[in-house]
Amino acid sequence: MSYRKAFIVSNALMLAAFVWAFAKDFNAEWRPYQKKYYQLAADALEKKGLKDEARRMRRSPVEIKQIIAGDLGRFDRCVTCHVGMDEYVNPTLKNDFAENPYKSHPKVDAALVKAHPFTKFGCTSCHSGQGLATSVDAAHGWVKHWEKPMLKGVHIQGSCVKCHGNFETLKGAEAAALGKKAFNRQGCQGCHMINGFGGTTSVPLDDIADKPFERIAGYNFKRVQIDGKELRDEHHDSHWNIQNWILGHLLNDPAEVTPNDPFAHLNAEPIPPSGMPDFRGEISRSEADAIVAYLSGMTKEEVVPYRYHVPAPPAREPRLSGTARGRYVFAKYGCQGCHGLDAKQGRRRFNAAGDGQKEYDDTLPEAEQFAQMNLGAEPTLPNLVGTYTHEELVKKIQNGVPAADAKKWSPKGPLPMVTMPSWKDKISKSELDDLAAWLLSIAKKDDSGF
Amino acid sequence: MSEITPNPAPNQAPVPSPKPAAKPAEMSRGDFLWAGWGMLAAFFAASAAAGARFMFPNVIYEPSQKFNAGQASSYDLGVSTKWLNEQRVWIVRTPSGFYAMWARCTHLGCTPNWWGDQNRFKCPCHGSNYTLDGDVIAGPAPMPLWRAKVELAPTGDLIVDKAVLENKPGKREDAPYFASYAAA
Amino acid sequence: MPALDLETIKKEIIDSQLWRSVFRGGVWKDTPRDRAGHIIGNVWLHLHPVKVRPRALEWAYTWGMGGISFALYLLLTLTGVALMFYYRPTIGLAYRDIKDLEFAVTLGMFLRNAHRWAAQAMVVAVIAHMVRVFLTGAYKKPREFNWGIGVLLLTLTLFLSFTGYLLPWDQLAIWAVTVGTNMAGATPILGNEGPLGSLVGMRINNDVRFTLLGGTMVGENTLLRFYVMHCVAVPLVVGILLILHFWRIRKDSFSAAPYSAAEEKIDVWPHLVKREYIAAAGTVLFIMIWSILQNAPLEAIANPNVTTNPSKAPWYFVGLQELLVYFDPWIAGVAMPGLIIVGLIAIPYIDTNPKGVGYYAWKERPFANALFMLGIVMWFALIYIGYALRGPNYAWYWPWESWYLPKAAPPPTWSVFGPEGVGAYSMLIGIPLLGALSAAWMLLPKLIQRELDGRKAMGGFLAAVAALAVAGVALGRMGAAEGGFLLFFLGASFYFGFVLPQRHIRTLDWPRYLVTMVLVVSTMSVLLKMCARLAFNIKYVLTIPSINMNI
Repeated sequence: MSYRKAFIVSNALMLAAFVWAFAKDFNAEWRPYQKKYYQLAADALEKKGLKDEARRMRRSPVEIKQIIAGDLGRFDRCVTCHVGMDEYVNPTLKNDFAENPYKSHPKVDAALVKAHPFTKFGCTSCHSGQGLATSVDAAHGWVKHWEKPMLKGVHIQGSCVKCHGNFETLKGAEAAALGKKAFNRQGCQGCHMINGFGGTTSVPLDDIADKPFERIAGYNFKRVQIDGKELRDEHHDSHWNIQNWILGHLLNDPAEVTPNDPFAHLNAEPIPPSGMPDFRGEISRSEADAIVAYLSGMTKEEVVPYRYHVPAPPAREPRLSGTARGRYVFAKYGCQGCHGLDAKQGRRRFNAAGDGQKEYDDTLPEAEQFAQMNLGAEPTLPNLVGTYTHEELVKKIQNGVPAADAKKWSPKGPLPMVTMPSWKDKISKSELDDLAAWLLSIAKKDDSGF
Repeated sequence: MSEITPNPAPNQAPVPSPKPAAKPAEMSRGDFLWAGWGMLAAFFAASAAAGARFMFPNVIYEPSQKFNAGQASSYDLGVSTKWLNEQRVWIVRTPSGFYAMWARCTHLGCTPNWWGDQNRFKCPCHGSNYTLDGDVIAGPAPMPLWRAKVELAPTGDLIVDKAVLENKPGKREDAPYFASYAAA
Repeated sequence: MPALDLETIKKEIIDSQLWRSVFRGGVWKDTPRDRAGHIIGNVWLHLHPVKVRPRALEWAYTWGMGGISFALYLLLTLTGVALMFYYRPTIGLAYRDIKDLEFAVTLGMFLRNAHRWAAQAMVVAVIAHMVRVFLTGAYKKPREFNWGIGVLLLTLTLFLSFTGYLLPWDQLAIWAVTVGTNMAGATPILGNEGPLGSLVGMRINNDVRFTLLGGTMVGENTLLRFYVMHCVAVPLVVGILLILHFWRIRKDSFSAAPYSAAEEKIDVWPHLVKREYIAAAGTVLFIMIWSILQNAPLEAIANPNVTTNPSKAPWYFVGLQELLVYFDPWIAGVAMPGLIIVGLIAIPYIDTNPKGVGYYAWKERPFANALFMLGIVMWFALIYIGYALRGPNYAWYWPWESWYLPKAAPPPTWSVFGPEGVGAYSMLIGIPLLGALSAAWMLLPKLIQRELDGRKAMGGFLAAVAALAVAGVALGRMGAAEGGFLLFFLGASFYFGFVLPQRHIRTLDWPRYLVTMVLVVSTMSVLLKMCARLAFNIKYVLTIPSINMNI
């Protein structure tokens, strides 16, 4: 090719490429949605006989719209496509369209929505997602590197928790309230601290909603099943997020989600699987979602200005005394997280020697050994506390039990992940006395002759 | 001219040099060179146009020129300074409806004050005085105060758009610079 | 009405006072004088000579890479200025502004892509230009100084890329810059973590890293500093050096050697200019299409508490990052880059071979070409390893392995002259021993006055290493893989570090010979240290913890 031809061709191609670039930029995803909305809205106005309004609607400028909620640091361009939720195009915030993104926000007359005007709160304050984005996947947060996708279903109630300290009595936040109830009922606070209350055996959950993907063990998502379905092994389709990570721990056996390295294949020392008990029998599917909703509000990254914050009502302790108070104390501090509801049945303690296990035999296949180690359990307290005096029991609870004291089923296997922590600084002496009294009251009466 | 100590590669045969000088056809128009220049010019023109478009921001971090001034029924007759701080607008209710006056002196842009006892807007900078309608009755201001577009939404809210302005008597009294509102 | 005559119109326009005032010269008749005048009379073109050697027009000779680098620099300036209209360098706004460019600014995404991709292309183009200049011996007298300027320009190109990396304020940005500036903190004497640094009172808030960051961590000041360096300070320096670079090419004349003694030179206008135009247009086109098809990456917003896993530098620094796995930061991050820059600048002054100027000469310059290409290949091999073979936790993952496969924890490492190795007083033995070994290595090739038979020497050496490896395997001290590593790395070091110097540079005068050998031996040390780590888990060859000095 001669340079002359190359000159002509290269210039033509540069022009063409530029036109291509501009066309691509101009044909942004949001544009057809907004145009279609004006059409639909104009048609609807015409049907009502409002010719002038219809004409004006049809001629509305096609532009990126955004709600600036500066107080909350939100710049939400959602209304660029969801035009029906733009107060200036659709002042009533109501329309008859059924399809997204054209339809209006549901329940705009409900007190809940009225109390959170869009122009003041934006969209992502409640719904999460990427407000700055103007393409479908990016805006809903279904892309790589956006950690906060739109909250689905009841999970959105986590957003209530961010500001409303009183969410437990709040209309519309029922799921979050139920989540907190279930969380405390199962004794999750025994290991997970929230806002200074709870044990330190596992990670605190004050800011669990901010947990970045880098800290979620990515490959373990492969073992998570939700409603019988595996999560796709890409995290940019929004399935690999903190909501599903929590849900995965409630709808699967956590020891299978995070098996770690109990046979020391990868490390010098064996590492036990997750010490979190398997709550599947005790938590319903909807409670699991409720817990996720509650925990979705546990954020420190999103700073809520004080005038948006509703304080929690002062905590009120029930007036109880004696063994009744002891039982309450047991549940309050989450002892049931390991020792079972009402201390009836100790939960799993991986590789602890326990009932119903075979004799240790290192020729057993690993899967069988794993199953045997899985049978190890925390003490079932009624069987145990009978041998203690009141003072001994109080002391034991105060001091806890070091991990090294555990009796292992497999001597080569790991020490159990979970041990009895020291409660000295957490449970007051009077509470402890009542707790010990209650425990002794439920101790199995020994009829074997000892 | 340059001095190169020649160290020719022994194995390389001299390549015939590209044809020198004899190409007078270079600039003739028979060979469509103009098409190349034309397309280059078009490319630059397109780039310049796109560059100009680039300088128009699609989003701005300012409060919207349009704002919702709340329920029409919540206003009393006369001048309301409710939105002065946030939006620099007076909402004026007359017996027949509403207009929204932009609180910007037409002289040099200061913000006049509303003196209810004298029924005047007075500018502190150079002493322009305006009537309730916005007409100049004293001072150097060259023209009446601007009124913004105001609409009564089906919800009963007043929607003000400061991007659309009018101050000519005869025009400013009609929609969209005046929202009829007869309710008691 | 007379017919519309284009020629007449053209003449009218060209003869008008306006046109004449803008463009100098008479009516274009395409005479040699016109062509010369076109170059001389135009401020943009006059850095060219009027005529050049035919070889200078050959794509196979020039690769067009110098011109393409410059075209990319101009493109980067244009797109960069455009981006500046929508970018504010503060922690609260930077990331949001990039999102705005992506989502809300007309052509914002395209311009950002173009800026990012052109920057990466420029790194490639500048390196390719350097390789071409080296292989054609174009740095030799009288162009030594211009080669040095070129090396500085390459360094500044990388520095521009590095400073630009911080500006989006995403995870990639903050961690690349955190690692990069911590290397500055490992500078000997001047850095608080470098050897001897603590002895002269360097702390986290008064060392060279502190100055670079404007703080003790990557923060608001850092962003502003990098912004100013990226947009104003460094481009200014690059611009000045570019002028010098071009001016010296003009004054020293272009390197291409004549094909024959009697050859005639060729007019630059139009023959060179049209080639330059096509190269530039092709470059612009390439960047445009790349920018349309592929978006520049933008990770999550910078979070000083969370490091991405794996966290990798931009690809052109991944080679350095891979070196950081084997060496202490003061070596891999400061000494080695410094040595590379100084070594490159020194090349024209130590290469006394008069042959091979202005044409490709593999046979006439075997030593220079082999060593230089080894360096380039090593650089890109390290980049490949760091970029493609490192997965989560920076563990080694083969391309066919899933990153979701958990990897075994790396084995514990040990140091030869250190507590786990030789034990107490190790440095009293280690320093003299290592010093003697390096000295012997450096001197030996020149001390052997007779040229050895390369094939025999190589064969003998490999046989000895193989015997050693077999003995090691037999004694159970190493596996077959370790033996293979030993054979490969020792063999390569022996060939490039002994056989080649012994054959080709033993006649060099002592100062030049020694400088050359310092460069050769340090290059080989990189290979040997990699072997020591990969095959034998050796962390340091010598460690002196008291002054933070580890090798």
